Amino acid sequence: MISSASSSSPGGEDLRPGGGEEDHRPGASAAADGGRAAVRVRAAALLAPALGAALACVPVLAPRNITLLNLGFFTFLYVAQGLAWNILGGFAGYVSFGYAAFFGLGAYTTALLWLSGWTPVLTFPLSGLLAAVFSLVVGVPTLRLVGPYFSIATIGVGEAMRILMLNLDRITGGASGLNLPTVVPSKAWFYTAALVMAAIAYATATWIRGSRFGLGLAALRMDLEAAETLGVRTALFKNVAHMISAFLVGVCGGLFATYFQYLHPDTVFSFTESISLVLIALIGGLGTIWGPILGAAVFYAVQDYLQTSYPTLHLLAYGILLIVILLFEPRGLAGLAARIWDRLRPGAAPARSP
Amino acid sequence: MFTAQNLISVCITSILTAGLYAIMSYGLAVIYGVMKVVNLSNAGFLMLGAFMTMVYAQTLHLDPIAGAFLNIPLFFAAGWLVYVALVRRVRQALPIASLLMLFGLWLVLQNLALVVWGSEDQSIITRYTYKALPFFDYRVALTRLIVFSVALAVMAVLHVLLNHTYIGKALRATVQDPEAALLAGIDTERISSFAFGLGTAFAGFAGGLMTLLFSFTPDFGGPFQLKSFTIIVLGGLENLAGVTVGATILAFAESFSVLFMRASLQNVVAYALLVVALIVMPGGVASLFGRRT
Repeated sequence: MISSASSSSPGGEDLRPGGGEEDHRPGASAAADGGRAAVRVRAAALLAPALGAALACVPVLAPRNITLLNLGFFTFLYVAQGLAWNILGGFAGYVSFGYAAFFGLGAYTTALLWLSGWTPVLTFPLSGLLAAVFSLVVGVPTLRLVGPYFSIATIGVGEAMRILMLNLDRITGGASGLNLPTVVPSKAWFYTAALVMAAIAYATATWIRGSRFGLGLAALRMDLEAAETLGVRTALFKNVAHMISAFLVGVCGGLFATYFQYLHPDTVFSFTESISLVLIALIGGLGTIWGPILGAAVFYAVQDYLQTSYPTLHLLAYGILLIVILLFEPRGLAGLAARIWDRLRPGAAPARSP
Repeated sequence: MFTAQNLISVCITSILTAGLYAIMSYGLAVIYGVMKVVNLSNAGFLMLGAFMTMVYAQTLHLDPIAGAFLNIPLFFAAGWLVYVALVRRVRQALPIASLLMLFGLWLVLQNLALVVWGSEDQSIITRYTYKALPFFDYRVALTRLIVFSVALAVMAVLHVLLNHTYIGKALRATVQDPEAALLAGIDTERISSFAFGLGTAFAGFAGGLMTLLFSFTPDFGGPFQLKSFTIIVLGGLENLAGVTVGATILAFAESFSVLFMRASLQNVVAYALLVVALIVMPGGVASLFGRRT
């Protein structure tokens, strides 16, 4: 049981049943694959803290490089949200197009408490909590839907929230937005805070993936009814996964509000915000740990590069990339990286041919 | 507020809107019915239909109604191509794969339009855009009347096509039971590409007609897409005739909501209805009545 779990874990979710290399392999080569995969996992587990430590040195070494610190802040914020989204979307297989609601609720919680005199950092747990409570309210009915129906319902919920928030102008400032205090910490502080958020999301995702809870999510993703028959409390698991990821995204929203000092329902509740998370996880590799990290790094780099000339051209690039990935490598960039890694290791090539 | 005058005029608006809603949702229903694929790219083709109609109007001085009809063959071909090149390859996978694929296509279409036409509001003004016809004591915008009658006529043609031609009957058979249709010798693969073409042609046609009523941007399709989902879910997903029922319910719900709440909240009614309908009545409105008897 344990070995089969570890062999399937680095592969992530495969959208093509026939294409799942880990699932449809004869026993012997599956074991070989599992062994290589284990090496890959160990290498990745060492890589993450090392990478984190290296990135944590940046504000110390270059405290005045605003461009670099900003790049880091936004990338880490996307990494954290991509990892969080992936807990429900990747591990449990419930693709949600409505996460902007959690991001926006988190952002507005922080903003409103900040305006009433709180220190922003102290509001973050509350932002996460409110997002989590809302995710429960939405999740209990909608998570009963399967596959595409859940996705469509979440588009409806997300858009309804945006319009409601635009119309609650007493609270959210409506269409004219909300100005926040201008006394804020340094860019280096934001950089570090976002890095910490990404690290927390990474730790949470890694822990879930290896736990009984994570195995339960994987089981219900593969076959809901079979998982239920085996005693997995699917409704509970789905909702808990939804709440954990909503909490993390809510905190990210709070951090974003502190950074931007100006909030508008159309930015924090936008459909673009929701689909960014979907794209990051899908292009990186659905259901993997490294997928959202790779996806977010590439996503923000492309967005930042194209922002000045065409504000939404990165979505065009990502749309094309999404189609290509679904056609040729459903495991995303992480799958591609794993393939290259295996190719580079001697003795790996023969086992690859089925 | 609740004068008879008001109620009647709201009803007239609702019925006219229902015609538009039905025609814009039909494509989604056909594609879902035949291959159980949720076509998120419908929004993109709706938007493209509007922009193509604008292009015809600018270059060929073609009337938007003629433009909408010109869209039908072009979008049919485009839909056929999309099915063969993209959708067919992921159909054996989990249902979510095709949804995401078509979502990617929507992103591509939307942002291509943004590159080509920019993000400004576009509109087509014709000689009859601001005309209104007297209808007993009420005045009805001519464009709304035109859209309603053209939509009704096209749906009548579709009805004949579905009931009296081989391909139409084969299509309906595939909706009812794909395996049985295959056993009966129907080339369901060909029916699928035909259905995808037909669905996309409807999107292009509806998009063309909508230029008579609305101004449009590359983001144009999104809200209508969600409304279309509401309509086909209310109509009972696999029931093509249900589209008209769903469209009527949504149009009335929206129009009457204006009497109670801010007009800017109108779309929330549609989205709330979508979520409620998905959860409470996955078989559509008809299933509610079916259970009781």
